[in-house]
Amino acid sequence: MNWRSKENHLLFLLIVGLSAWVVPGAGYYLLNEKKRAIIVFVTIVLTFCIGIYVGSIGVIDPISSGIPYAGQIMNSPFVAVLAHKTAGGNYPVYSKPNEIGQIYTSISGLLNLLCIINSIYLAHLKKIETAGE
Amino acid sequence: MLIAACTLIANFTAPIEIGTTPASMLWMFPLVASVAIIYKATKLPKITTRNFIKETTVLFASIVMFMIAVAIVLYGFAWFVIE
Repeated sequence: MNWRSKENHLLFLLIVGLSAWVVPGAGYYLLNEKKRAIIVFVTIVLTFCIGIYVGSIGVIDPISSGIPYAGQIMNSPFVAVLAHKTAGGNYPVYSKPNEIGQIYTSISGLLNLLCIINSIYLAHLKKIETAGE
Repeated sequence: MLIAACTLIANFTAPIEIGTTPASMLWMFPLVASVAIIYKATKLPKITTRNFIKETTVLFASIVMFMIAVAIVLYGFAWFVIE
């Protein structure tokens, strides 16, 4: 593999990773794994929506809930838009709805992180297989 | 149509009521289902509908069984300490 193709390969991995972060499942879609992409997209979006339905968008709070927010931001960078909206404490939420909402949104983000890493790995494997043929 | 859209958006701006009751534990089921689905979506080399549903169901049941077992052990431990 010369430096040019290595550079292209790294760029492709970066594109796959970034698109998988921006839209859950998009990384698999780029790799022509459409069934996987649809399953991941529907599951991640549904889990995140259940979380903000239970606890309201107030569960996304980068100021007072930093650790859950680290997981939530892995859903998509668009979560930062919601965080900007809720940053002033306009949507207070306490107790069980807060806990359940944070757990759902954080776990869906961490599951998306798993999918991002897996799609980058699959992209890498496909490149190696193509180079080996 | 606009009212329906506004109502839908409004649903996401106020939390729903969930009491601190044993029934609130039922909220774990959708999350366990999500974990099982995503895990199997990343692990299966080829996804076919029948195989995917089968594998996901087995993983879902395994996680739930394990959590029930842990709950029973913790309940027994708590009972032992209190009594």
